[in-house]
Order: sequence, then C-alpha cells, then structure tokens
Amino acid sequence: MATARPGWSRKAQYGLFFSFLAAIAGLLMGLVLLAVSFVSPKSYAAVRGAALDATAPVTGGLRQVTDTVAGLFSGAGNYWDAAHQNAQLRRERTLMIQRIIEARAISQENRELKAALQLRERSRATVASGRVVGSSFSSPRRFAIFSAGTSDGVRIGMPVRSPSGLIGRVMDAGSLASRVLLVSDRASIVPARILRSGQPVISQGRGDGTVDLRPLEVGRNPFHRGDIVITSGTGGLYPPLVPIARVIRLDDDGAIARPLADPSSASFAVVEQPYEPAAITDQAAPSPGGE
Amino acid sequence: MVRAALAQKRYIDQGPVPGAQYWPAFSVMLASLLVVLPIVSMNGWFPNFGFLMLLAWRLLRSDAFPTWWAAPLGLFNDLALGSPIGLSVAVWTAAILALDIADRRTQWRGYWLEWILAGVLLLGQEAAEWRVAQIMGASVPFLTILSPLLISILAFPVAAWIVARIDRWRLGR
Repeated sequence: MATARPGWSRKAQYGLFFSFLAAIAGLLMGLVLLAVSFVSPKSYAAVRGAALDATAPVTGGLRQVTDTVAGLFSGAGNYWDAAHQNAQLRRERTLMIQRIIEARAISQENRELKAALQLRERSRATVASGRVVGSSFSSPRRFAIFSAGTSDGVRIGMPVRSPSGLIGRVMDAGSLASRVLLVSDRASIVPARILRSGQPVISQGRGDGTVDLRPLEVGRNPFHRGDIVITSGTGGLYPPLVPIARVIRLDDDGAIARPLADPSSASFAVVEQPYEPAAITDQAAPSPGGE
Repeated sequence: MVRAALAQKRYIDQGPVPGAQYWPAFSVMLASLLVVLPIVSMNGWFPNFGFLMLLAWRLLRSDAFPTWWAAPLGLFNDLALGSPIGLSVAVWTAAILALDIADRRTQWRGYWLEWILAGVLLLGQEAAEWRVAQIMGASVPFLTILSPLLISILAFPVAAWIVARIDRWRLGR
C-alpha cells in the first residue's frame, strides 16, 4: 500500500479510501475532544478516574517491589555503619528532646494567647493517607499518581502534603487512586510567605522540579539563599504553615526554590480537607490546570 | 531482512503467529502502558513511548494497521497518560496522515530519511503538547521541549529496532 493504488482490486482501493476517510474523521474527532477538554474539563472526570483505577494499582505494586529492592541495599548499608550511626543518632536525640520541650512551651503559650484573643481554632482533618506511586514522566506537566481515591474520601481540589512539606492538590480522582497536581507544575500557584520575615510571596511551579518565588510587594528582592517558604493559608485551599520550598538561587526580582517534599522519595502523604471548606467549590469550578 | 534470508535457518513449517495482524497495534498499547512504571520524575524528559512505537511501525511498513486505528490508539494513550483527552487522538492521526502523504512524495527511503521524518513528527508532537499545556494554564518556555525532544529522537532507533524484532517474530521469519 506504499503506492497510491493497491493494484486493480476495487475492494482494496475502496478499503484504502474508506480507511483514509475514517482517519480524517478520527482527526476531527480528536480535535473536538480536545476542544471539550479545554472548555469543560470536568466532563471527562468519570472516564479519567476509571482509567486511573485501571492503571494505578499496577504502579503501586511495582513501586512496592522497587522499594523492597532499594530497601535491601540501603538496609545493608545501615548495618555496615551501625556503630557510628548509633552514636550520632543518640546525640541528635538528646538535642531533639530539648527542642521538643521548648516547642511544647511555645505551643502552650500560643494556645493561651489565642484563647485570650478568642481566635477560632480550625481542626486539621486528615481525609486519607497514601503514597505517591508514579508520575507523568513524558509531558511538560507535573502530575503524580497517589494511591488513595474517592472510596477513601478524596475529592478533586483537596490539598496533599507529606511530613516534609506540601506536595500539591488533587486534580483527578478515581475510586482507588487519584492524580495530584504537584507544586512544581506551571499551573500550580500557592500563596506563601517567607518563614524568616513573614513577607507574603507567590510560589509558581516551573515544570522542571523547581518553583518560582515572587514577592507580592514590589521592592528589593526579599529572598536569601536557603530561605524556607511556607504556605500562608490565603485563598483558603492550602492550610497555613506547611513548608513548601527552600531557595536555591536568586534572580532579579524573585528566587528559584526546590520543593522540600520530594514526591519520588516521600514515603507517605496525607490528603487534607481544604482549609476553608468553601474553597473547594471555588477551586473545582475553573479548569483543573487553569486559574 | 536480506541478511535473514541469507542465513542458514530453514523456514519450513513456520508461519505467522496467531493474531499477527493485531500485534503492531497491541505493541503500541503496551508501550503506552509503560506509564504504569513507578517512575517519579521531576522533569518530564522521558519519551512518549506509545508515539515512538506508532511512528516506528508506520515507518517500517505502511500496512501495520489501518490508518484510522491511530485515533483509538491515541485515545488509549491519552487515558493511560492522563494527558488532555483528544491530544494524542489528534496528533497521532495527523502524524499517520502526514506519513501517508510522505509515502507518496518521497522517491526513496533510507535509515536517515526515516529518522528525519520521525524527528520532525516528534517535534510536532512535543510542540502540540507544549501548546496544549499553555492553553491549560501551564505556559513553560518553548525551549524546555528541547531536552525531551532530543531524548525522543535518540530513542527512535531503539524503538525501530524493537519494532523490527517484533515484526520478524510475528511473521515467523
């Protein structure tokens, strides 16, 4: 069929022609589907969730295998260095205990001050916990596959965090797994502030595993190398005081930072209720990638 | 193929494997499903395996699958990868149609020409993906597609080799 005419057979000629027409129809259908993706992304929520349910359990199983193999090696390494590590951990532990006592005192003081000011304490409700098992490794977008879905209570728009920091928010939910828009995705914008000075900034992903930080107020560059940026709670989606990223490089009016929670090594993560429950309805309305 | 014919092996009683005509499409779907590998990458530089396989099959032979099969295969790829539904449907069908036209225009074919054709189509695919991401609110600089494009182009000969092996196996050569 490399030539235009597949010989004198009418059947073969018609077959080729109809295949060509079907391909044109397929192309047009693809464009229509894509247009619907842009205009109302929510219309595909069910089918995308079902596709996630079909593939994510396999990813989770494979992830367990790779973790076990990696664990064998790192475990052997730990035995090799046990005595030295033991001494070091003891030293760190005594230091930690001192810090924890200080922190307890501070949090008690904080509670008393809040009670004096009659501030409303919001409870941090954990919806589900799971693990990051896979990611979108062949596209400019940064998504991760998370091993908990609507059967665990996960809904589209909920924030996801790990012990070390913010991971992102849920953008597709199947019943067994969900897809998380990572902090480092270009469409992921997080209201934040600098931990050192409390100055409000905006964090936006760069698509390559780092985030872009911009101060809200124009002026001289407020960042220093090594600064930690935490969520501010503005907007009501992400809970405040969750670490996001550490500054690695300054540029002319902002900084480039690396997220503290590395999804590839985070052992587990939790999905939380949106900080303000009203935020999820606002968040679910526009496109999952857009603003 | 010529070397295979010159080899000493006898081909009596050997024929195509059952379902030989479906193996090309099936292998493209398998390549799309490589996305279930538990790789957590911070920069999406891995090639689009399904598209590489599709191009390699179509460049190896024009009757690997009917032209219109690119649309359902693309839909499957979209669902597996979680990309905007319709992106691969449109891009894959357009790529196959472009290769149909290239079949009529080119007078001769060789490794280099096929590699160049694949490179141009891979560039088109990456650019379409970039443009769609931009419309969806994630506008990264255009030059960021260079590294994944380069990796894809370098991965194409590997895909072509795998496809040639599958082709010989399915036809019982």
